[in-house]
Amino acid sequence: MPTPKPIIQVEGLAKEFRRPKRIEGPFGGIRTLFTRQYVSKLAVDGIDFTVDEGELIGYLGPNGAGKSTTIKILTGILQPTQGSVEVAGVVPWKERERNARNIGVVFGQRTQLWWDLPLRDSLELIGKLYGVERDRHRANIERFTELLGLAAFIDTPVRQLSLGQRMRGDLAAAMLPEPRILYLDEPTIGLDVVAKERIRAFIATLNKDEGTTVILTTHDLDDVEKLCRRIVLIDGGKVLYDGSVEKLKARYAPRRRLVVQLAEGARWRGVAMPGVEEAPPEEDAEPGTVALLFDPETAASAEVIAAVLADHQVTDLSIVEPELEGVVHRIYAAREAVA
Amino acid sequence: MATVASNPVPAHRQYLLLLHAAWRGQLQYRGNLVLTLIGGVLYQGVGLAFVWAVVAKFGHVGGWGMGELAFLYGVRLTAHAAWTIPFNRLNSMDWMVQRGEFDRYLIRPAGTLTQFLNWSTNIQPLGDLIGGVGVLVAASSAAPIDWSPTAVLYLLATIAGGALVECSLQLGLCGLSFRLQATYALRMNFIDNIMNNFGGYPLTIFPSVMRFALTFLLPLAFVAYLPANVLLHRTGELSVAPWLAWCAPLLGPLLFAAAYKFWYGQLKHYKSSGT
Repeated sequence: MPTPKPIIQVEGLAKEFRRPKRIEGPFGGIRTLFTRQYVSKLAVDGIDFTVDEGELIGYLGPNGAGKSTTIKILTGILQPTQGSVEVAGVVPWKERERNARNIGVVFGQRTQLWWDLPLRDSLELIGKLYGVERDRHRANIERFTELLGLAAFIDTPVRQLSLGQRMRGDLAAAMLPEPRILYLDEPTIGLDVVAKERIRAFIATLNKDEGTTVILTTHDLDDVEKLCRRIVLIDGGKVLYDGSVEKLKARYAPRRRLVVQLAEGARWRGVAMPGVEEAPPEEDAEPGTVALLFDPETAASAEVIAAVLADHQVTDLSIVEPELEGVVHRIYAAREAVA
Repeated sequence: MATVASNPVPAHRQYLLLLHAAWRGQLQYRGNLVLTLIGGVLYQGVGLAFVWAVVAKFGHVGGWGMGELAFLYGVRLTAHAAWTIPFNRLNSMDWMVQRGEFDRYLIRPAGTLTQFLNWSTNIQPLGDLIGGVGVLVAASSAAPIDWSPTAVLYLLATIAGGALVECSLQLGLCGLSFRLQATYALRMNFIDNIMNNFGGYPLTIFPSVMRFALTFLLPLAFVAYLPANVLLHRTGELSVAPWLAWCAPLLGPLLFAAAYKFWYGQLKHYKSSGT
């Protein structure tokens, strides 16, 4: 079977922002207006990636890495300076409206609902604006009302909704025309734990049941760990990493942590095994706990545990997998040290 | 593959849908609605009272009596209201560009300008319209105009053309906001002010340099002054050819087509905001 063409193809994408150089001194403001000198900044600097239909990818990077710029090019908001992009067979900025029919977009920072109208009116208006057949649209509204729990506030004007309610309304609005691709730009920003969970569950359902391709931009790595199998990590406008969450951890934080709780009165005698090393004690560690770091590639977990138990009286043992949060933190920090 | 749910919708239907939503949103604030309307009428009344005070003191302005002046004022004001009702959102252009608010229009399958103009609305221009039409009706009998069907049609064409002239200047400059981020001072403090302050007077009272500027550089004369001369049989006094005065209503559609193209051309330079 031939492999299907990726739904999103990005090649050599670059975006440069230029603004006139500000001139200081007498009549600076007016001279700035007529200057031919520019300050330019490369927000995106040669990005390549492809996304297959039905994938759910996390698009990550620190502030100013070029995430939003990429998303804005993919959605047709911005034109790139260089490179080629195809989204479901459409070049977004060339056929903006055709592209808009294939995509749903949710900006955590900015609602797309009609501020002064009840949520229901916004949802109905979207059906008419996108030319969705009436019965189909009504069925969709009903389904999303249930999935997202909109019933309690669907007749409330949007300006009176809480952030979590508004976000759910925005998600419904984006998905009502049944787009093939959903872009989420920080959908859980500022939300409480329950609201976050609800939104994550909705995204997972869409991806699983409808096969919607999802591109998720977020700083909340819990979102990513719970939803995404694949990550594209960018910084300085370039792709740093593109692959699975597991491989990212294996590459940047290969070592697991074994936490040992010694029995009362027992003394720590150490473990002499290649590839196993004692971790510096943590500040909030309980007395009598010792943490070891080891790479499961060189020292199997079972052997390390056996070695510990051979020499010590132990009441508890636990293996801690590296968290994405720590991994990403390490990558960003390393980049800053280089720069 | 699943069938596609959304289907193309004609642009005019999308316009009406969004217009309807904008008005429904605005009607939520009833108290504000009434106050703004009253304010609009009063504001324009003050402008006319000023012209009246000048005429009462000097008898006439540039050879124009009160009836003729009121007619000129009424045409200008009605034309002004006629474009500001659908285009009042242009006021917020700079802010929308600076804040990256155009993002939301660009991700929907509908015209960007249509969405921008109908995102919300302002009812103040309705006050202008009430004021303008009121003055126009009162002045129509006071001014020496023979109201043949042709004259009525010409007046309607004048109002539409004048509205489009003013609208085009504003729309075109708004297009520059995509690059320059801010054009409010130029649009409102400069052009709109000139239009509002000088639009109600016969241009003959101004020095010739200014008359030239207000005819060919900033085509204020085409909004109301030139066609009013035609209807008042005063084309003999003009410093331009009478045929040009007759054709004045045609400038609006031409300028508007250019401004519309220019605005969409400049949209390519939209930079969005940082986030």
